[in-house]
Amino acid sequence: MKNRAETSGIEQKSAPPAGGQGFVRLEGVSKRFGDVVALHEATLDVRRGEILTLLGPSGGGKTTLLNLVAGFLLPDSGAIHIAGQPVTEVPPYRREIGVLFQNYALFPHMSVAANVAYGLRMRRLPRPEIARKVAETLALVRLVGLENRTPRQLSGGQQQRVALARALAISPKVLLLDEPFSALDKNLRGSMQLELKEIQRKLGVTTIFVTHDQSEALSLSDRIVVLSEGRIRQVGTPGEIYRRPTERFVASFVGDVNVLRARLEEVDGEAAQIAIGAAKLAVPAGTLRGCAPGAPVELFIRPEQLRLAETGDETACEGVVSAHSYQGGHVDLHLASEAAVSGRILMRWPGTEAIARWPVGTRIAVACAGTEAVAFPASPS
Amino acid sequence: MPRRPFLRAFVSPAALCAIAFVAAMAAVLQFSVRAYIPGSLDPGGFTLVNFAALLKPLYGRVFLDTVWICFITAVCTLVIGYPVAYALVRAKGAFLKSAMLIVVVTPLFLGEVVRTYSWIVVLGNNGFVNTVLLKLGMIERPLQLMFTSFGVVLALVHVTLPVMVIMLAAALSHIDPDYERAAESLGAGPIRAFLSVTLPLSTPGIVAGVTTAFAWTFSAFATPQLIGGGQVNMVSNLVYQLGFASFNFPFAASLSVVGLVLAFGMIALLRAGLRPLEAVGPQ
Repeated sequence: MKNRAETSGIEQKSAPPAGGQGFVRLEGVSKRFGDVVALHEATLDVRRGEILTLLGPSGGGKTTLLNLVAGFLLPDSGAIHIAGQPVTEVPPYRREIGVLFQNYALFPHMSVAANVAYGLRMRRLPRPEIARKVAETLALVRLVGLENRTPRQLSGGQQQRVALARALAISPKVLLLDEPFSALDKNLRGSMQLELKEIQRKLGVTTIFVTHDQSEALSLSDRIVVLSEGRIRQVGTPGEIYRRPTERFVASFVGDVNVLRARLEEVDGEAAQIAIGAAKLAVPAGTLRGCAPGAPVELFIRPEQLRLAETGDETACEGVVSAHSYQGGHVDLHLASEAAVSGRILMRWPGTEAIARWPVGTRIAVACAGTEAVAFPASPS
Repeated sequence: MPRRPFLRAFVSPAALCAIAFVAAMAAVLQFSVRAYIPGSLDPGGFTLVNFAALLKPLYGRVFLDTVWICFITAVCTLVIGYPVAYALVRAKGAFLKSAMLIVVVTPLFLGEVVRTYSWIVVLGNNGFVNTVLLKLGMIERPLQLMFTSFGVVLALVHVTLPVMVIMLAAALSHIDPDYERAAESLGAGPIRAFLSVTLPLSTPGIVAGVTTAFAWTFSAFATPQLIGGGQVNMVSNLVYQLGFASFNFPFAASLSVVGLVLAFGMIALLRAGLRPLEAVGPQ
């Protein structure tokens, strides 16, 4: 293993995002707590330099997966590799990982500088080098001048920067972030997310990020792993996850979605023809295996993929406006419709004109604006 | 006090207790400056002769022994109690936790006399320890465990341990386990993580525990009386002898007063000595 003391500075790890494959590698990793399966046969490659987000509802297994990579938990079966080394049995203090905890876990009895220096002291680096790296890392997170404060004297955002600096100072092979933004207020969260992404790009450190916030996952990640009930549901870029979910759970967990009753017309290779009302739509056939033509299916379509049917349009369905909700940049139009499985359809309208044009009670026809949608076999109900 | 209608009602029992304590202390203080009339339970006129008599080396020795025994007991209790408290706090599972807590607290449930007698059964010449060692052939003659400061300290540690463990556990339970995980993720092995993070963060508990253990032991009576058997004397034993064997109440009172002052002085000294440690812990 490379001696950390010889590496120079914290910028030496710059690697192009999505360089080699499987910088962190999980092979069939399972973990149970008593009777509860926290993680089932997880196989995953984290590419060098990427931000990979573990997204899912609480209890989905994302924190378990993170703790397994960190070494805080040992898997019941399976193997974990970091940078080509098997680390399944390696304790956390020899894994060279940086962890940003949800509550930051800054040492309250140490100054900011001592917190950041902690990992370097544990590596027994010479004093001048520790001082240099601490200064460098604090500059990176823009905390110069606060070296001698204690964590208690800092704001939430500053505490998070210290925690990030402490994790980065040791030039970790992998940076693990456990819901780091959940304690911050909304405005600060946004700017910290941007800053984190910038720093991550600058250092090129492979990052695994846990969140249950789907918009955070979409905006921050190179790739997203969606987990639920201890299983990996889908791995893909934010665009793939949002636009081409391969599982019903993924489609409904990430982003707003309308579920409309439709019918399978025919399957032609990789594409399937879906009929909804008078409209026809091509969707990926992969999610409809085992469905015969004519079978009822459920069409998952995003609000922005729907629009008002104009003359000449093929109407997909009809609905009655039941509520408007003004969102600043756009208006959410809620329709009551029998075509939707939940009885409700959500449409987006830029500006505010929608409120005046279609008052509550107006019956409107809906058409599909794009072809971006997925379909799943109708759930037995 | 219109906004705190129950304040008076709730404070009055405490006030009554305080008045009773102050009255008792005043009586002791008053006795300590009265002359002893041999053969009479009533004290004579005001005098400082009792305090002058305390300057004899015999009494100085008892004070020194008391402080020493308290100190050793506090240190031993800390060393034994810390791992127990740590295990208690970090143990997973409610059953294991309660089981440990019950075992730890049991010494407090036994009366002082019962507990001390059971130590006599263990430490005596025909007691458990000596019998076992003799049967195993590890010793030829019984070890002298009774009537030694070792025996006294052992029994005192036993009764002080619950207090120490509870105070340390209270302090340790406020330390987020994520601190240790953070330390480990940064390259600290379990021992270094403990020494650099958990131990310093628990110093308020250590200071409180040691101070309380010290005060707790300083007032010990039955344990040194029965296990020390006159060979190991602490301040309270001397007070008892003077008061109830010699019926020299004024002298016993002056000894009590000096003992009390000494106890306060030692605790103040202890706190001052531990203050640098406390500055390390969280505010």
